[in-house]
Amino acid sequence: MKKLTHVLVVIVLFPALLIAESQKDLPEHQAARERMVTSQIKSRGITDKNVLHAMREIPRHHFVPKALASKAYADHPLPIGQGQTISQPYIVALMTESLKLNGNERVLEIGTGSGYQAAILAQVAKDVHTIEIKEKLYKKANQILYSMAFQNIKTHLGDGYFGWIDAAPFDCIMITAAIDHIPPPLLKQLKDGGRLILPLGNPFSYQNLSLVTKQKGDFTVRQITGVLFVPMTGFALDRKQNETNAP
Amino acid sequence: MILFAVFLLSLSALSFEVLLTRVFSIGQWNHLSFMVISIALFGFAASGTFLNIIDTRNKGWEKRLSQADPLLAFVILYSLTAIIAYVVLNQIPFDYFRLPLESIQIFYLLMVYLLLALPFFFTGLVVILAYAANPEKTGLVYFSNMSGSAFGAIIPFLFLPLLGEGNLIIFSALVPLLIVPLKTILPEARHPSFIPFLRERRMFFRLLCFSMVIIAGLLVTIGNDTLISVKPSPYKALSQALQLPNTITKETTTGIRGRFDSIDSPYIRFAPGLSLKYTKTLPDTWMVFTDGDSPFYFYTLQPEQNEQFSRFTLCYLGYLLAPNPAHVLIIQRGGGLGIPCALAAKASNITIIEQQPRIAQLVKHHYDIDVTNKNHRTFLRQSDKKFHVIHVENWGSSLPGSSALAQEHLFTSESITAYLHHLSNNGVLIISRKLLLPPADLIRLWAVVYESLISFGIENPEQHIAVLRNWNTYTLMVSAKRLNDTQTIQDFARNLNFDLVYIPGITKEMANRFNIFDSPYHYFEIKRLAEAYRLGTQKTYFDTYLLDVAAQTDNRPFPGRFLKWSKLKTLYQMTGSRFYSLFMSGEVVVAVVFFEAFFVTIFLLVIPLMAISKTDQRPYFSSIIYFLGVGAGFMFIELFFIKKYTFIFGDPVISFAVVLSGILIFSSLGGYASQHLDSRYLRHILVALVAVLILILFGLDSLDKHLLGLSQNLQYTTAFLLLLPPGIIAGFPFPLGMRYLVDRPSHRAYAWAANGCASVLASVGSAQIALSLGITTIIACAAFAYLLACVCIFQNSARV
Repeated sequence: MKKLTHVLVVIVLFPALLIAESQKDLPEHQAARERMVTSQIKSRGITDKNVLHAMREIPRHHFVPKALASKAYADHPLPIGQGQTISQPYIVALMTESLKLNGNERVLEIGTGSGYQAAILAQVAKDVHTIEIKEKLYKKANQILYSMAFQNIKTHLGDGYFGWIDAAPFDCIMITAAIDHIPPPLLKQLKDGGRLILPLGNPFSYQNLSLVTKQKGDFTVRQITGVLFVPMTGFALDRKQNETNAP
Repeated sequence: MILFAVFLLSLSALSFEVLLTRVFSIGQWNHLSFMVISIALFGFAASGTFLNIIDTRNKGWEKRLSQADPLLAFVILYSLTAIIAYVVLNQIPFDYFRLPLESIQIFYLLMVYLLLALPFFFTGLVVILAYAANPEKTGLVYFSNMSGSAFGAIIPFLFLPLLGEGNLIIFSALVPLLIVPLKTILPEARHPSFIPFLRERRMFFRLLCFSMVIIAGLLVTIGNDTLISVKPSPYKALSQALQLPNTITKETTTGIRGRFDSIDSPYIRFAPGLSLKYTKTLPDTWMVFTDGDSPFYFYTLQPEQNEQFSRFTLCYLGYLLAPNPAHVLIIQRGGGLGIPCALAAKASNITIIEQQPRIAQLVKHHYDIDVTNKNHRTFLRQSDKKFHVIHVENWGSSLPGSSALAQEHLFTSESITAYLHHLSNNGVLIISRKLLLPPADLIRLWAVVYESLISFGIENPEQHIAVLRNWNTYTLMVSAKRLNDTQTIQDFARNLNFDLVYIPGITKEMANRFNIFDSPYHYFEIKRLAEAYRLGTQKTYFDTYLLDVAAQTDNRPFPGRFLKWSKLKTLYQMTGSRFYSLFMSGEVVVAVVFFEAFFVTIFLLVIPLMAISKTDQRPYFSSIIYFLGVGAGFMFIELFFIKKYTFIFGDPVISFAVVLSGILIFSSLGGYASQHLDSRYLRHILVALVAVLILILFGLDSLDKHLLGLSQNLQYTTAFLLLLPPGIIAGFPFPLGMRYLVDRPSHRAYAWAANGCASVLASVGSAQIALSLGITTIIACAAFAYLLACVCIFQNSARV
């Protein structure tokens, strides 16, 4: 029994120690975030103070694989496994700012991924509900978000296409993966006057970062910017990697 | 025996080449098949260069190397390198799409190029040895080479459905090994320098063959085909779909017309042009991919649900303009939305035209509707039926630019005119496409429709056209009667939050309301174009526009092609100065491959000339030009007919099969007949060939129309027989030239290299010629190439 207890303690503590190690927020990380905000985000026209504050506060390096922690604040997306990526910091900021959040909104995020976007949203909105379809990513993101003690983030494992019926309606919805059409169930779960942001288009070609607004039953789709999501190379989209990781 | 070796190697090499184009179509993108052709022909050409270099150091190579030992070694090396090259190609993470992003991909590309060229190199060696060692039998060598190639072209058609790409490549690579037991059993030829074939060597070769067969068998059976089955690029729609959870491949069938993967997934949703006002669940869907892309979607329809769903799609407007249609014609290439719309509109009679037999079969089974599996133009030519609605559904490839080289006759002015002929008095033509920005496809289609309406005798064509869009698709409608009352269209757009792009009497305020771009780009461009047509300045409009959007005809039918080389810089800047964004354009690929081919040609042809020290040993300049002309001319003829017959059969694969087998069979007969001719006939033959080509240039266009009206069997027979005159005459110049214009083994090797290089340049160049100048120009190029060869004969008259 004693042995078993020891084993259990090691099993529980070891990952926690690893997380603790990776979750150190050293002065150089804070400096890197400051540089990121100044050179990548503010310089490109993001002005929302709350968004800039959130980008300064959230330690992005916690959300990327340990091996890539040194590149966490670079001006590009990074692979996080399962063929998924953590978006470029500027895109995170741009998508967040486009929702025009004032702190009282309930936001639904489709595609938790690393959990970074949810963490940013949690800083600028009242409640964040986030859904991830891939179990490994869900567990990992859940672990990180839990360790960072976010009180206003609720996570869910499932198909975001159908939204989160029990928690609907939402003031804002953000889809963080490219999709070639706007899911009707999400439009239904959007409040009147609500906003939905998503990269619309071929997931591996040109997309338009688009903002859908619901107003008195009508929908308008506004193209924010044309984007070309460069496909991740090597690890993220390696054929064998994908085959191995296929659920 | 060497002739039999040439036959078997040619058979295997051509089969390998055809199969590689399939592998590239599935694994990468269709237009990369150009790379395969260039790899193959360069492999051939390099063998000529190699033997020329050997000649500078070692005379008499043609006798030594054409004996049993080296010949068998070349055959075995062919099989070995073909198998290794394919397995490596299938295992390395080479991906064309990643080329501009990862430097390692350049290494992979070079590796693929060199490895795949090797089997063709060994084939070329044996063919040249046959020519060089038997200068008096050039006609027979040519016959063996061409007839072997003809059989090789047919093999994939017969066996691909049974064996699949990987297995068939392995099996066809082993075919030339048949010569090893024969060679070791039969008595050796009576060559003066005959070296007895020792028993030990005989055993060695047999053992080697046996081991290769065992290894090949293991490759085929080990690991459930994982070593040799073709994997689609991760950027293709199929790979993307398979990443979804609980997504399974229900069935995969393969054949020369493509690989078809049926996919079932709870996460597949297809609804292009669906209004955002639709909030119900989408009908359940499964889909079939062709070569890992171009998905076709099958809806599991519940009558009430389908009605609601279809009524919220853009293309349903056509059914509001022509309500209660009795006869509906759906011409589809991918997609699958047309059928639910027709069913929701309660059309009493639906005719579906589907070119792909496999998809046609599935559609018939799934919807229980009769499907006509033929070319849409043949159907329209043969039918006198009038339709209330004609819906042409074609969304294009999943990547913009990747279909730039795809020949497609759905949207040429001749096709649109044919649709208009089959519309009833109050009928509507619906065309659904993806919306591109900057405006491209829509502008061209509007121009084609406008011009077709004029040719149809309509006075104010713009009064018959309406265009609506959402955020990424548009639907263009042509009404047989004037659209006097546009209120139905305006209400439909308003209620479902679609945007008007063009209707008679449209104003700026009516455009760009729900799916908002920075500016109503599409509305402005159509307005400018309509104004240009009114003023008769449409040519200036098309000349100055950023992209090539001029109306296309059957002579230049490339709806995915928009690039203007003169505006490349502007386009590059507009797409964010990213080389990457232009890289998938088929036209850019052709240009890159052409320049690469040009420099490799220079390299392969100049190296031997530099290596030969004595000027008098170098081949005559006129001979070099002759073989360059003959090589290019032959390839131009093949490619012209492939493109021309693609229009008639509506399928490039069928066209490829008919032309390749026809031209190769007829030219092999020509080669055989050339064995009995002396040099005097060469110039007459070339003059006759040029005359036949000129006749084709001016005559085949009118013949096209008649061919469309024939039954399928008659079409195939007539098309095949039309290849006889050019095919048989084109079989003479090369073997006669090899016999009478060159007299040294090294010169024959050089002539072979020149012929191969010219073929590469012509094959790649003809793609650009068709895009820029039209398909007919290719046959003019063929006539010019043979004329050039003819001039060289006169230059070389002392020898002929």
